Amino acid sequence: MRRFLLRRLLHALFVVWGVVTVVFFLVRLTGDPSAFLVDQTATQAEIAHARHLLGLDRPMWVQYVEFLGSVPRGDFGTSIRDRRPAMRMVLEHFWPATAELALASLVLSTVLAVPLGVVSATHRDRAPDHLSRLGSLFLQSMPSFWLGLMLILLFAVHLGGLLPAYGAGSWRHLVLPAVTLAAAPLAQNVRLVRSGLLEVLQQDYVRTARAKGLGEGLVIYRHALRNAAIPVITVTGLSLGFMLSGAIIIETVFSWPGLGRLVVQAVPARDFPVIQAGVFVFAVIFVALNVLVDLLYTVVDPRVRLP
Amino acid sequence: MTHWTASMLCALTGLTLALAPAAVDAQARALDGVAIDPDAELVVALADDTNNMDPRIGMGSIRSNYIRQVFESLVDVDSQGKPVPGLALAWKPVGDLAWEFSLRRGVTFHDGEPFNAEVVLFNLDRMFRRNLDRWGIKDVAAGTSFEKVFPFVSRWEKVDDYTVRVHTSEPSATLWDFIGREPLVPRAWTTKHGVEALNERPIGTGPWKLVEWKRKDHMSFERWERYWGNPPLYKRMRFQTIPEAAARIAALRAGQVGLIEAVPPLDADVLKAEPKVQVSTAVQKLVCRLYLNGRPRDKYDSGGKDGLFTDARVRMAFNLAVNKEAIVRKIFNGYARVNASPVASVSFGYAPQEPYAYDPRKAKALLMEAGWKESGGGWIDRNGEPVNVSLLFPAKHYGQAFDEMTTAVVEMIKEIGVPVTVKPVDFGTQLQVLQKGTLAPNGAFTACRTSNALDADDFLRDWTAFTLINWAPYPPELLALFTASRRELDPAKRLKLLADLQRQVRDWAPVVSLYQEVKIYAATARVLRFTPIPELNMDFRGVALRK
Amino acid sequence: MSSLARAGRHRLALAGLVVIVATVLMALLAPALAPSDPIKNRLIDRLTPPAWAAGGSWTHPLGTDTLGRDVLSRLLYGARVSLVVGFASVAIAGVLGVVLGLVAGFYGGWPDDALMRLGDIQLGFPALVLAIAVLAVLDASLLNVILVLGVSGWVTYARIVRGEVLSLKHRDFVEAARALGAADGYLMLRHILPNVLAPITVVATFSVARIIIAEASLSFLGLGIPPPAPSWGAMLDEGRNYITTGWWLALFPGLAILLLVLGINLVGDWLRDALDPRMERGI
Repeated sequence: MRRFLLRRLLHALFVVWGVVTVVFFLVRLTGDPSAFLVDQTATQAEIAHARHLLGLDRPMWVQYVEFLGSVPRGDFGTSIRDRRPAMRMVLEHFWPATAELALASLVLSTVLAVPLGVVSATHRDRAPDHLSRLGSLFLQSMPSFWLGLMLILLFAVHLGGLLPAYGAGSWRHLVLPAVTLAAAPLAQNVRLVRSGLLEVLQQDYVRTARAKGLGEGLVIYRHALRNAAIPVITVTGLSLGFMLSGAIIIETVFSWPGLGRLVVQAVPARDFPVIQAGVFVFAVIFVALNVLVDLLYTVVDPRVRLP
Repeated sequence: MTHWTASMLCALTGLTLALAPAAVDAQARALDGVAIDPDAELVVALADDTNNMDPRIGMGSIRSNYIRQVFESLVDVDSQGKPVPGLALAWKPVGDLAWEFSLRRGVTFHDGEPFNAEVVLFNLDRMFRRNLDRWGIKDVAAGTSFEKVFPFVSRWEKVDDYTVRVHTSEPSATLWDFIGREPLVPRAWTTKHGVEALNERPIGTGPWKLVEWKRKDHMSFERWERYWGNPPLYKRMRFQTIPEAAARIAALRAGQVGLIEAVPPLDADVLKAEPKVQVSTAVQKLVCRLYLNGRPRDKYDSGGKDGLFTDARVRMAFNLAVNKEAIVRKIFNGYARVNASPVASVSFGYAPQEPYAYDPRKAKALLMEAGWKESGGGWIDRNGEPVNVSLLFPAKHYGQAFDEMTTAVVEMIKEIGVPVTVKPVDFGTQLQVLQKGTLAPNGAFTACRTSNALDADDFLRDWTAFTLINWAPYPPELLALFTASRRELDPAKRLKLLADLQRQVRDWAPVVSLYQEVKIYAATARVLRFTPIPELNMDFRGVALRK
Repeated sequence: MSSLARAGRHRLALAGLVVIVATVLMALLAPALAPSDPIKNRLIDRLTPPAWAAGGSWTHPLGTDTLGRDVLSRLLYGARVSLVVGFASVAIAGVLGVVLGLVAGFYGGWPDDALMRLGDIQLGFPALVLAIAVLAVLDASLLNVILVLGVSGWVTYARIVRGEVLSLKHRDFVEAARALGAADGYLMLRHILPNVLAPITVVATFSVARIIIAEASLSFLGLGIPPPAPSWGAMLDEGRNYITTGWWLALFPGLAILLLVLGINLVGDWLRDALDPRMERGI
């Protein structure tokens, strides 16, 4: 167990290093922010001076080494646009706005998938199956900004302000963006639960359980679902990256003050510190959650043992 | 009326205002016979949050809205965009080489610091980057480098506690404007907490003090009870960021916000027809243009080629090829205006110019005159080389109507036989191309320009130094005319020079002038007396909320 | 399973297939079917409603857009863009992923480690941020959009292929072929590739659907296919500010995307059940 964790940790460190390295060089390929720091009348010399003040005129490798040195301290420098510590800004937007949204849609997309998937599997190829699958596919087949705008029009305008059209702060604000973000992973999870169940329901131990006279509901929820949960967990772990970055568009539509919008607006402004800090946080969360997923396997499926 | 008597008149009215702030007294419970709620909150939905509150960093169209609620300048504007006394009661030239500002008394910053001549001197030091070490404050990379743009401003001094004099090395007609419109920050507070604190917890003299700022979400203000003018007629205000226009309108219709900005032109007419919504508009100091590369080869990074558009006839041809009336009427639904002058129609010194006719045939003829030739397939050659315009535009930066307009302009230019390749880029990329001067010789771009100044000078300056929006430098005779207008202190003579310059610039056509924006606001019926101003910001003084 | 139910399943898949074929036909026959030029502006006709609505005419059956261009014509030509972006990106991702997955699985050792770690890094990078940054470096063009969406999708394929290769590598028939002196390349192509085709096809089908949506998302951020070329994503994005004032602008491209993506997903569902019901597990 300890060796596993150690290896996993090293692996995680490597991935995070890789991501920050890629982002470091990638953003520098897009030019530099000195154009934003001078006025419209600046001469070439003044632009060069602004670049010098930012330290962007030094050799790339010097900047890179310095950057790597400051990452472990959590120091990503000062935002060029906002002139505040970049990491502080990123964390302000991550917590609570992004965390809330990601968590809520994670819960929605997994918790709702179970009953829908179960209904699908137990009524295979009958109306409820078609309904649940078509319904979830339908949600998945719309671009999220489109779905979001439709929900706003429906709930905020036509239903007389049943749910707020913008902003964050309460569960009522959370409903529409979370549903929009959950739409695509939900469909996928319904499929996974369904196919997982169909497969398990044919297997010996389930037949045995049935033969022992256990109720169908108990069979499904105690035995079969455990098995079906594994692919859901795997795919969810991987789609968390999507949850975090797919949120970018949903944050714009719903005026949600999250991390995605912060980072996306930082790219055209060439606000390197904010982009780097934001992508770093994305990567850390992604890696951490995937370690968590590995650990979850052992809980859900006793057959999986950590080496 | 000469200029300084005008400002003296302003001084008088300012004085009456100061003496009798009882047009609507602070205890007012009614306005125009309607009961109002002095403890209410107004939620205003804006398309974007500001990323900075320090006025020195820049006063773009987004920032101004936030900054001007908290900070004020020496010169204020009325609802018509005319200068009125702000923190200065009057301003006047003293001889040819100095201006004197008489300051308002009894003004305090939100932390209690008094406003006086020392504060103004400190701000001047900061604007012109002098004595920063003495004040112990850091320099900020600023939006406007006063010491470069106005190098003729030589020194400033305190005459008494409420009088400041600014000296110049040559006559300057517009000093009251470029210095007077800059928002002023407190001295003691800034030197104590540092310039970063201006960004985090700004302290100004404005009618609203900032109480909470949750970035990219909202900024909350509270009425500044000791405001020198009439304190606001409601207690709290919240600027809510809602990027999507559809969501802003939805929030207004649902009554979740009281006022929204940047209403798309077509929605304006729909909202107008709704009984519970009031729509108001104001012409903006925002002019949008198609810039064409007319720089000589040694003035940009071209690989040794002159810009394709150095010939004024070619630029004029493009002006004639674009049907601006149709763009304004159709794409902007009438909520924009055609303006052939390089100066915004609401600036002081604006002289209306004869519109460029929409005449594709004449446009083509002009191109032929300039040596462009028709080749096979209806397309045009120049010196045997096929011409192809490479057009950059900052997609999603100025709003959807702008993006649509750019596509329409491209198709109109193709109509006269000039092929165009459109390259949508993010705003940052466009800015870098222009600043580094790496625009292609056949390059062009669409962009909009704003101004914080009240005088036409700010617009006419565009083709002097090589800046990122100067792609067709003034020929010597126009440059001479511009310099003369700058130094002319006699208002009547100066207006004449300005009008003359505008006419010549129109004929010389440095850019394809496309349209001047009209900003559209919508409010619920609860909002009383909201009047949009032709500045970049909204002014909520005098606005009230129905009980 | 009753034969009736089986037919029901197939009916859905069949409907999906019909949608896809219809879209392909629309794209191919666009020049013949389109009532007018999809690019030329006619500002005077701006925002004409569809034929059956008040103020509409059969000159523009689905109405016109903000620049007076015929919506139906743009929809027909736009099918080309959506299909090309969807299929070309997936082809790039698939080929790249399969080749790298084969190499990683077959040779193991450092190439395997390097490629899989690269994949981990790629997955840990927020995809849209990557796309935005890359498109800020490159020009936004049809080709670059395809490249960005394609190159960022290889990891899934590589992982599947690698997993399959690892499980097949030591199976008798592969070992036998190797004992007979078969070359690596031959082994991969002849014995291993056919075995991974089924899961790859299924994943690719779902990816096409996802990419079509992703193209719309890029348009939303201003990084899609440059104007004036019609793409469904760009049309939908242009229409979103006109939901109340010109509903047809967003409705038709929205429906087109919805139907095509739904169709592709239905076919994908059916393919997965037919080819390998277990496949989504190991991704």
